[in-house]
Amino acid sequence: MSRFRPFGFALALICGTGPAMADLKQAVDAVMLPGFATFAKATAALETQTESHFTETGGQCDPTTLRPAFNKAFDAWMALSWLHFGPSEEGGTALAIRFWPDPKGLGAKAQRGLLLGDPASLEPELFAKQSVAARGLTGLERLLYPGEPPGADPCPLLRATVKDLARLASVLDAGWTGDQGFAQLLLSAGSDGNTRFLTRTEAMQAVFTQLMGGLEFIADQRLGRPLGEEDKPRPERAEARASGRATRNFLLELQAIRRLTAALEPDAAGTIAAMDRAIVAAGKLDEPQLAGVSDPERREKILEVQRLVRSARTIALSEMAPVLGVGLGFNSQDGD
Amino acid sequence: MATRRGFLAGLASLSLPGLGWADVGSPAWLAAGKEGEDYVLHGLRSDGESLFSIPLPARGHAAAAHPARPEAVAFARRPGVFAIVLDCFTGAIRHRLTPPEGRQFNGHGAFSADGALLMTSEVVAEGSEGRIGIWETETYRRIGEWQTGGIGPHDMKRLADGRLIVANGGIQTDPSDRSTLNLDTMRSNLALLSPEGEILEIAELEPELHQNSLRHLALVGEGVAVALQWQGELSDPVPLLARWEPGRAITLFEAAPEEIYTMKGYAGSIAANQGMIAISSPRGGAVMVFGEDGTPLATHRRADICGLAALDQGFVASDGGGGIWALGGAQAPLRALRHGATSWDNHMVPIG
Repeated sequence: MSRFRPFGFALALICGTGPAMADLKQAVDAVMLPGFATFAKATAALETQTESHFTETGGQCDPTTLRPAFNKAFDAWMALSWLHFGPSEEGGTALAIRFWPDPKGLGAKAQRGLLLGDPASLEPELFAKQSVAARGLTGLERLLYPGEPPGADPCPLLRATVKDLARLASVLDAGWTGDQGFAQLLLSAGSDGNTRFLTRTEAMQAVFTQLMGGLEFIADQRLGRPLGEEDKPRPERAEARASGRATRNFLLELQAIRRLTAALEPDAAGTIAAMDRAIVAAGKLDEPQLAGVSDPERREKILEVQRLVRSARTIALSEMAPVLGVGLGFNSQDGD
Repeated sequence: MATRRGFLAGLASLSLPGLGWADVGSPAWLAAGKEGEDYVLHGLRSDGESLFSIPLPARGHAAAAHPARPEAVAFARRPGVFAIVLDCFTGAIRHRLTPPEGRQFNGHGAFSADGALLMTSEVVAEGSEGRIGIWETETYRRIGEWQTGGIGPHDMKRLADGRLIVANGGIQTDPSDRSTLNLDTMRSNLALLSPEGEILEIAELEPELHQNSLRHLALVGEGVAVALQWQGELSDPVPLLARWEPGRAITLFEAAPEEIYTMKGYAGSIAANQGMIAISSPRGGAVMVFGEDGTPLATHRRADICGLAALDQGFVASDGGGGIWALGGAQAPLRALRHGATSWDNHMVPIG
């Protein structure tokens, strides 16, 4: 048999030792795990408040009283929304928590079905099987900030959605913690039996991919969708317009990405400074609904934030990737 | 069987001294990859072990395996200037195929069942109109070309009766680089060609999905399963899996709502086995497994995963991080077969 160029898979043992400097443990312990704990706590608080509100009002509900707790939960989610790996991606959990964008209006349609349908589907076990598009923060926002009067009493659906959201948050938190948790998988990368991350570099690559993907999503989707084309802005595509969170959402996300970057690679001064520039510019926007995309002067300021986010991504790629020993995927960055 | 054996032996003896794939260890698949700064083509055994590796002059894409002789044609990425006929026994380059003036290879190719002809997917450089280049396989002389009935043909599959299905991806590219020129007006289709190259039938998607590029094929039933790549807005979730049997309309299969963004609008490879169809997305870092009727069965996660082929009761997959994975059935988790220093490119091409 011919073996004109024998090929050694053992090479991986030499090449796969990974970066020494970057602090994955700090990123996991100081940013990721506290983030999931905070989100679980915030949704549990929303559930407690919803339950007591229902008890006090005898099953009636005034959605406005639940808005502050809803916003706290939403804030907590935006610190995590961009961490798409591990328990978040299993069974569409991240989408069940926050279904956006939804250009086909799947969420409103599915939610209307629940509102007008068989009340039995609101029981926790059945509700957990309903479409991800109808549930979570996106579903709650429609109920708490209704554009038009709902076709039926929204209170039972509101209660079921809150309960389901708190459950999803605790499932996520549990999936990240403990000996079998995803945090442990990340930190034990390269050890025997860890088939998720075969080397430390793979774990680093996965975290870096989240960071890059988060910045890209802000620039292309959260900002890019409402910005639309120069001659055709699409303000109606801004996210969370009803609750006025369009800017707040990506500002919180940017801050969380910056925290992770600083924990992972404190020496990435250029990247951190670039992220700070984007955060400062986003903080100055007074655009709760990003309606300014249609106004030339305000649009320029929104475009500037988009440019700064993209620039932070470019700088992160050139500054951090070589230090972490990672890159963009061989196949994923380029078509066939 | 004696007839068949005699036939194969006769074929092999035409140019090589009776060598077959068994003489190079019976590799199961061909796969292109990158090692350091070098590009290679490997022959892989079904446990993922590399049996041979042959250097390539630039990044490869897919390959085609001769049905009898241990001879592989490695294709450059599109738009391609090379296709190389490799002797997998000696590692020698037997022929270098260059497209005729004004033509470019477009990533894929296939042999006729008897191995006498090689068909290569090509574009007319200006305008990306599709052609199938026809080469005889004794001396690899070009002996003709066929129209594909569309723009930017990519993958092709030969049906059992010799007819050919070509995926005209619909994308016009700049002849000098990979930039796309017609995303606003593109229209992809599937073309059925007779064994003599006559266009028998063309099927396309409904107009609102005109930016959905039909690109990679796997044989299923009387036709093909198709992996698509969405060229429209990423936030528009569209089906990335289709089936087509000639004489019928194309059927599209939607992902479940919780998986609509999993593939990031991009299916890079496809394989079918045991009543299941798998599609991969290096962008989404996932392989999704469906039933042949389009029922979603499972989603497996792995960064930069792309190459796919049938293996035992399930599939084998390769990734850009050097991993080769077995997917037992629909539900079994990914099992690492190998992990090494080769960044595996888009496809695993079955031999035999």
